[in-house]
Amino acid sequence: MIASLTKSIKSSPFGLIIIIFGILIIGLTSLYSVAEIKADDASNAFLRQLIFLIPALILMMLFSIVPKKIVHEYVYILYILITLSVVIPFFGAKVADTYRWINIGLPFSLQPSEISKLVIVLTLARYLSDRSIQLDNFTSNFIPFMIAFIPAIIVLNQPDLGTALVMMSPVIPMLYWVGARPFHLFLLIAPALSILTAFDVMVFTIWTIIMALIIFLSKPQLWNGISIFFSNIFLGLVFPLFWNSFLRPYHRNRILTAINPELDPLGSGYQVIQSKTALGSGGFFGKGWGAGTQTQLKFLPVQESDFIVSVIGEELGFISILIMLLLFMYLVLRILNLAFNATDRFSGLVLVGIATIFLAHIFVNCSMASGMIPVKGLPLPFVSYGGSFLLSSFIMIGIVINFSKEEIY
Amino acid sequence: MLKSPNIASKNRLWVFYIFVLFVHLLLIGRFFKIQIIDNEIYLKRAKSNYVRALSTPAPRGLILDRNGKIIVDNYPTYIVYGIDAEIKNKNQNYSIISKATGIDTLTLINNYKNYFRSRFLPTKIAKDLTIEQLSQLEENKNNLSGIIYEQFPERIYHPMVKATHVLGYLKEIDKEMINNSQTNQYSFGDLAGWSGIEKKYENKLRGQKGVSYYQVDAYGREAGEVDGYDNILPQPGQNINTTLDIDLQLLVEEIYANKKGAAIVSIPNTGEILAYVSSPDYNPSLFTGMVSSKEWQEIVSDPDRPLLNRAANGLYPPASIFKMVVAIELLEKKLVNKSWSVVCTGEYEFYDRVHKCWDKNGHGTVNIESAIAQSCDVFFYEAIQKVRLDELEKRSKEFLHGVPTNIDLPSEMKGRVPNRKYMNKLYGRYGWSTGAMLNIAIGQGEILVTPIQMMAYINLLANKGNVKNLHLVTPNLLSINNNVSISDDTWKIIHNSMRKVIYDTKGTGKLSNPKINNVNVYGKTGTAENPHGETHAWYVGYANRGEATVSVVILVENGGGGGSVASPIARKIFKKYYSKNNPKIANNQ
Repeated sequence: MIASLTKSIKSSPFGLIIIIFGILIIGLTSLYSVAEIKADDASNAFLRQLIFLIPALILMMLFSIVPKKIVHEYVYILYILITLSVVIPFFGAKVADTYRWINIGLPFSLQPSEISKLVIVLTLARYLSDRSIQLDNFTSNFIPFMIAFIPAIIVLNQPDLGTALVMMSPVIPMLYWVGARPFHLFLLIAPALSILTAFDVMVFTIWTIIMALIIFLSKPQLWNGISIFFSNIFLGLVFPLFWNSFLRPYHRNRILTAINPELDPLGSGYQVIQSKTALGSGGFFGKGWGAGTQTQLKFLPVQESDFIVSVIGEELGFISILIMLLLFMYLVLRILNLAFNATDRFSGLVLVGIATIFLAHIFVNCSMASGMIPVKGLPLPFVSYGGSFLLSSFIMIGIVINFSKEEIY
Repeated sequence: MLKSPNIASKNRLWVFYIFVLFVHLLLIGRFFKIQIIDNEIYLKRAKSNYVRALSTPAPRGLILDRNGKIIVDNYPTYIVYGIDAEIKNKNQNYSIISKATGIDTLTLINNYKNYFRSRFLPTKIAKDLTIEQLSQLEENKNNLSGIIYEQFPERIYHPMVKATHVLGYLKEIDKEMINNSQTNQYSFGDLAGWSGIEKKYENKLRGQKGVSYYQVDAYGREAGEVDGYDNILPQPGQNINTTLDIDLQLLVEEIYANKKGAAIVSIPNTGEILAYVSSPDYNPSLFTGMVSSKEWQEIVSDPDRPLLNRAANGLYPPASIFKMVVAIELLEKKLVNKSWSVVCTGEYEFYDRVHKCWDKNGHGTVNIESAIAQSCDVFFYEAIQKVRLDELEKRSKEFLHGVPTNIDLPSEMKGRVPNRKYMNKLYGRYGWSTGAMLNIAIGQGEILVTPIQMMAYINLLANKGNVKNLHLVTPNLLSINNNVSISDDTWKIIHNSMRKVIYDTKGTGKLSNPKINNVNVYGKTGTAENPHGETHAWYVGYANRGEATVSVVILVENGGGGGSVASPIARKIFKKYYSKNNPKIANNQ
């Protein structure tokens, strides 16, 4: 046991760990600054994050030595269990108007959807590595899609659009990694685009033209092509009808504000405005650690989790944001590189999936904080305060370390 | 199938690389745009987020009496404002404020509605909070949102002296005043002088507001001062030294506590007013608070009209105190001489009408001096027939009847002295006859004056025609009438007559004699007919001891006879003035 642990540490990609600690320090520095405001609060975010680091590091080490074989063997059972656990919070109490948390009697709650991201990746990897086919058949694209879609739609109903998107994000990259035809991937995305564009006649028209061109250029069988084209148009025509007549107004509002928080200017819209103000007023070098007026005067909401990047931007400046993003980029690229060099397809796929999940978190969190996209609440890996996500991030790193090395038994 | 080979192609790996690079460059670009390119915009926005400018009120100047004693002072109170954009729970705010102040929630809500101007401007919710009430609010600070306080120096009045109609009151300015103000000094909800000295000397008293900058947090709570912003200190208003004498004022107010009317005490040599009372009055602090419409209605609809400044705005017939004007006209035009006499039987028949003397027993043979001393009406019924109305009007105006005194108060009535034109207009060319003159001769009928005019008139008599503008603070530069020149003989007769009013055994003003050594009193009583009830009692006069002269005008509405009611009041004032033993102060002014 101990021998295998030392071996794994020796062979682990050390660069990865250093990068992660660099990111962690940036996050903790800002959390400390935020925590300083609430000096009287013993259980402040900074301290809790530090405490969470201990189990996180232990879990990372554990997952870095878990036999790959066992993971591979039981992943489907794990998938079923975790999908069920995502449903459990519905029977619990509402926290902050959502059902994301399970209260397990600990001084903190667990968010099963955080772990389920990894499980989806593992399940997809297992499914895709089991098949030697080059995924010529569209149905073999469709099943992976459903693997992610089922837990995602449950999470979406919680409602947590951000997490649902992250859950869906590995599907296409992983399919692409194992050689799926771009046309098939296009077919996966097409219905979503048909629905989204259906609300504007002009955009819908442009979309149908593009769709027709792509289908024509990909030269599918005649009847297939025609049926794909028309079923998409049909979807686009029917969806607005469904939207307007079958959904109740409060359903519609709920979905709309989940997609676009600016519709709720006193809630999330306010957050985005304050976040941009905090970021923008920071400038190149920032206002100094603990000297951010927007942060310290609490104009910035949810500063320790969703908007931690704005705290960094305000107090430590663009230079720190730049360093952080470069570290993140190196992290993702490194994991992809490890995936390419992995010994087997399953490992490679898992690493690609994890890289995608990190990338999705980085992109959604940063573009939300900078007001580029209007999606709600996703934490930034290793930076944002939040126990569940910190644990799952380190577990994923543990898996990366584990799966990127040669088989040793 | 763990052994299935890793089949990733190099090309596809590069697609991944490029995609990751693209996402990060996009984010870096976005942050660069916000943090570097738009830095200034957001810096400004951040500042306006947390820097709040509050105007700090300037303490109003104090109002002092002639000896520097404070009549109107300031004391600190607190005003509670709400900033709409930052209020999270209005009802909770109201209930906490209501609990702390005892003001009911409905009033608070109404205040808020009335003062609301903008979501981002402080809106007044409650005022006149004591420090104790404020500290109660402070305890609940965490449950309040968007609530700020401002210290405000509130007017506090002398515990004894009221001088209501002199001092005036403060009231919140209205839209019209804001628009008319050239200096842009006012903002909505400010207090400004609405009457009396507070209004007349508003520019001096007001001072200049300051600005203080606060740092506030997202909940609108103050979080210290801001670097780089210098507070502008408020400039306190100037103190106003009035000519009033607190002791005399207090005495007169005590006398008038249960009377209606007006009383003025002044120094003829300078025109300074020592005491000025109009009764009944009101509580001036009523207006500085948020006046409830009920209280306001009570004051406005009070039949005794407490808001009316009777001394300057009340119109009364001068009655017998007018007789000196008639006497001067008779003497100056040589229509009668000193020894010209009339026999008074108590009534006077004029054509088909009998005009009565106030004393139905008659005064016997009276000349001009004894007619004034005893206030014989019959003498003047007879003599007036030699006088032309338009000449009398001129003379009356020369002696300041129906002429504004230009006293430094915001408003005064002009009064009325009739002439032929006026009478013709009123009664028609042939509608009135010399008979009307008989009424005018004894100061009744169409002639109307204000008590303050009578003060100017009696000062003019005391100074032998040398007019000094009446004033409470500083004399108006526009003099009403430089000099009245009548012959020394006439002055002698008039002064003799007025002295006899006090010292003659039959003098009507005997009761005004303070009986102090070396103090000589000159005066005249009047009893004005009042169609609505009891007669109004007049007393005008002055006293001197050497150079120290003091003059009084006493009017008691529905008081009865001038001799019996008004004269004793004058005596008390003379007594007080000379017992104060302050001729020097009076002189040096």
